[in-house]
Amino acid sequence: MRMKAAILAAVMLVSAACSGAPPAAQQSTEADITLSGPVAITLWHALTGPQQIALDAMVKKFNDTNGKGVTVTALNQGTYTQLYQKTLGAIQAGALPELAHAYESFVADYMKADVVVDLGSYKDSKTNGLTKESQDDIYKGYYDTNTFPQYGNRLLSWPFTKSLAVMYVNNDILKELGKPIPKTWDEFEATALAATKKDASGKVTRMGFAFNTDASYFNAQVYARGGTLMAADNKTVAWNGKEGLAVLQMYDRMNKNGSGYSPKSFDFQSDLATGKLAFFFSSTSTVPFMKDLADKASFSWSIANLPQAATDPAKAKTVQFGANVAVFKSTPDKQLASWMFIKWMSETDQSAQFASTSYYMPVRATAANSQTLKDYWAKVPQGKQGFDLIQYSSPEPNIRGQQDIRDVIFNMITEVITAKSTPDAAMATATTKANQIVKDAQ
Amino acid sequence: MAAEVIPASVRASPRRRLPVESIQAWLFLLPAVIVLGVFQIFPAIAAFYMSLFKWDVVQGAFRGFGNYTDWLYDNSIRSPDFWRALSTTFTYVIVTVPLEIALALVLAYLLFQKMRGRGIYRTVYYLPYVTSFVAAAAVFFWVFHPQYGLVNDVIGIFGIGPQKWLDEPRGLFELAASGFGVTLPEWLAGPSLALVVISLVTVWHYLGYQIVIFLAGLSNISQEFYEAARLDGANERQIFTKITLPLLSPTTFFVFTVASIGVLRSFDSVYVLTNGFGGPLDTTRTVTLLVFKTAFQQAQFGLGAALAFILTTIILLFTLIQFRVLGRRVHYD
Amino acid sequence: MTEAIPIERGLPRVTMRPRIGSIVKHIVLIVVALIVAYPFYFMVTSSFKDTLEAIRTPPTIFPNELHPENYTDAWSRAPWGRYFINTIFVSIAVTILEVITACLAAYAFARMKFRGKGILFTVFLATLMIPGEATLIPKYVLMSPSRVACAGLPCLGWFDTYQVQIVPFIASAFSIFLMRQFFLSIPNELADAARMDGAGHLRFLWSIVLPLSVPALITVGLITFLGSWNAFQWPLIVTSKPDFRPVQVGLSQFRQEAGASYHLLMAASTFVVAPIVLLFLVAQRYLVQGIARTGIRG
Repeated sequence: MRMKAAILAAVMLVSAACSGAPPAAQQSTEADITLSGPVAITLWHALTGPQQIALDAMVKKFNDTNGKGVTVTALNQGTYTQLYQKTLGAIQAGALPELAHAYESFVADYMKADVVVDLGSYKDSKTNGLTKESQDDIYKGYYDTNTFPQYGNRLLSWPFTKSLAVMYVNNDILKELGKPIPKTWDEFEATALAATKKDASGKVTRMGFAFNTDASYFNAQVYARGGTLMAADNKTVAWNGKEGLAVLQMYDRMNKNGSGYSPKSFDFQSDLATGKLAFFFSSTSTVPFMKDLADKASFSWSIANLPQAATDPAKAKTVQFGANVAVFKSTPDKQLASWMFIKWMSETDQSAQFASTSYYMPVRATAANSQTLKDYWAKVPQGKQGFDLIQYSSPEPNIRGQQDIRDVIFNMITEVITAKSTPDAAMATATTKANQIVKDAQ
Repeated sequence: MAAEVIPASVRASPRRRLPVESIQAWLFLLPAVIVLGVFQIFPAIAAFYMSLFKWDVVQGAFRGFGNYTDWLYDNSIRSPDFWRALSTTFTYVIVTVPLEIALALVLAYLLFQKMRGRGIYRTVYYLPYVTSFVAAAAVFFWVFHPQYGLVNDVIGIFGIGPQKWLDEPRGLFELAASGFGVTLPEWLAGPSLALVVISLVTVWHYLGYQIVIFLAGLSNISQEFYEAARLDGANERQIFTKITLPLLSPTTFFVFTVASIGVLRSFDSVYVLTNGFGGPLDTTRTVTLLVFKTAFQQAQFGLGAALAFILTTIILLFTLIQFRVLGRRVHYD
Repeated sequence: MTEAIPIERGLPRVTMRPRIGSIVKHIVLIVVALIVAYPFYFMVTSSFKDTLEAIRTPPTIFPNELHPENYTDAWSRAPWGRYFINTIFVSIAVTILEVITACLAAYAFARMKFRGKGILFTVFLATLMIPGEATLIPKYVLMSPSRVACAGLPCLGWFDTYQVQIVPFIASAFSIFLMRQFFLSIPNELADAARMDGAGHLRFLWSIVLPLSVPALITVGLITFLGSWNAFQWPLIVTSKPDFRPVQVGLSQFRQEAGASYHLLMAASTFVVAPIVLLFLVAQRYLVQGIARTGIRG
């Protein structure tokens, strides 16, 4: 009897512990209030090294200058994955911070617990929001990615550490080959093959291209080839069309003729730096690491847009990357303080300053006019090369289940580059799985 | 909970002959009971409770054993994932445990004899065990590197071409056969090369520990047996197979059980060596990794907890079978 | 029961074996030792190379030029001092407390009669079979501050503390099991003699059993210390600030941060691994003796 009672009590304790969620916020007036006193808020993030130092400097500046008694504490919580896992735990425990660094798919999951603040009313608030002019200065793609069709097209996160998918080029190899930076996919493939060198035994000593199995680079190539990722109704995937297949077929060919290889973790960076590789696709946030290597091993490198199908440069496309920041429901004061911080971070001066110290992309166009960024670009021209491509970048889908779909794409590419499947077969399997995931996640 | 259990038992004891000892025993046990109760048993009960619900980020509808049946047969995505992960898990056990035991046994036997440098060998063999997988992983990435790994250089000496190791989803036998131009059917492909590498790293990690256990077992075999055997003119090989092996069987059985349970519930080794993915192509996704993926990547806590309990049940059954089948054959002196 | 012979003495060598056998034996042992030790050699040598040499292929056997400044560089990039203090404090506290609870519980299981013994022992052993991933979320919730989750119920509120890294680990079924096996091997005559002298359980445990159990205590202590030193996932999720974080969390963060600076990562790995390796070098003699008389009697 006693034992049963004890188990019952235990079960009740857990059910009580796990069902609680913060009280729903009243959105209508909360965004327009003024702070009633000093507020301390916490931001969980996944930045390390120079980027963490850059963020800490911004936070300190905000704390010193905001004049409203808002104090932000920024704390690193490991990798993005660890941050996500910890936040899921914090939702169960009712112990969320006020702000968290998050990818779109994370936010879509957090919204299942209805813990994320709709930032739309803050953005448009007469007292605390942004002017129309200021709103339009922020790139449209950044609003798109943070607006969630599954959750009533609400603005649930705000651009924070943005970047985009670009092509890194070893200029020395291209110079040796006498070729320009490829603009089309055919040129790209031919140049990569020309860059490939084998020794007498047939062992590849210099490679053309480093395969990247991450789904984002597949998506970027689908965009660059003129395709789309999701059907208009968001009910089925659309990357399985001819553009997606063309990506897989190219990988297959490059794998077979030896011009492409699968790098281990971040090897492709040092491979390019040591003259063993001509091209890789990566995020613009790789710039500081490449710059670091370039300072040590002298070689010439640059950043360019991915090769494109469209001949019209205005139609060029790539994938917009990088995480955002979400505000969790708490008290009106804390929510407002959180908004004040992220608004401040995205203002022209701060955006430019953070971009020059963190190597992420500015969130608004006028940041380019700032002297800070101009000075930075004088030192790191690749930063400007990346910036000029922002206008071509589009977000990836932000529906629930996207994280699983990324795994499916990852496996699809792996099957092709390990010669386990043909491009057609891999694509067919992946499409079935992905559409099932979309259906289950609705 | 713990506090509830104790008085009940204590109250029940006065009719026994040793009430004082019973109370005293429970006092001795109190710290362990409280800590294990609060931090192990209570969370397990709570996890079981979660496993009965749809728990997609937050608690949803009561499903009874629906999450369990989803894994076992009821769901067209979950169920194949589960059976595949289970087969991967047992393959991992089959590749790892016999190798680990055989190596540890032979090395322990060699080390048990008087010889120079015994302490040094033992120390070297023990080093991996004290190193966390997190620290070891960084090094193994390089050792088994597809382009630059030392292992590729070594097998190159024997005329074998470079392998992709941790990035190779193809089966061991499949690869070996393709070396001779033979194509094997899927079911004969064997464990993926990636899983074999993880097994080797696992053996590397636990080898020293198992050697120490075998050394301990060897020291418990009475000298008289050896002396008698030698008087009868047995040679060293006969002594090993007729005396050492049978008398060591309780130790071997212990090592076998502990190593099997260890591999069945292992998580760190696969997680760090595959960056958490269980790749390539899910060929190293063990059940524990699937639990982790379900709970912490898909936010399906109910399904994740259910899978964890299925695994616990399997481990229990596996251990019972071991005791039934092998335990009987063990030679106790 | 056969009396254990001291391991250090070992089996007398079979004298008739020719030298050749001994050489083969050494060759086998050396080859395995080289394979086992290679990753450590690689780690330490890489930690003394410069950026480019550390990623050169094939790797150089020995650094062309020694760069001990990698260590100061790696050390200065994270609050390692704080991490080490945290880890050392937590590991020592867990070890001492766990050995105490294990001794008490193991003694009760090995030497005392009480109701519920069989069931309790089974329940304890069962806790060894549940994968930790299953209980992570409930354990995490239990530690949360009493904001929402624990409305009305006692809640620990232990995030960002030392106790959250200590208390859940101060009892382990595995240690209890090991100690129990050891206590079982202590002759009953000793207990009878002690009872004749009027010694209670506590005194018998303290003045007879424990002094006899030093190798086992050291074994259990070392295994616990090791587990605590290498703890990673739990401290990562229950601490948010560097003030309370241990070295393994620091190393994992440094791994992302170091990026292409492989030599720095290897330097950091070396100084994280070194203390525990040194500890085991000093204590390994006891470890073998301890295990020799604990878990292996079937």
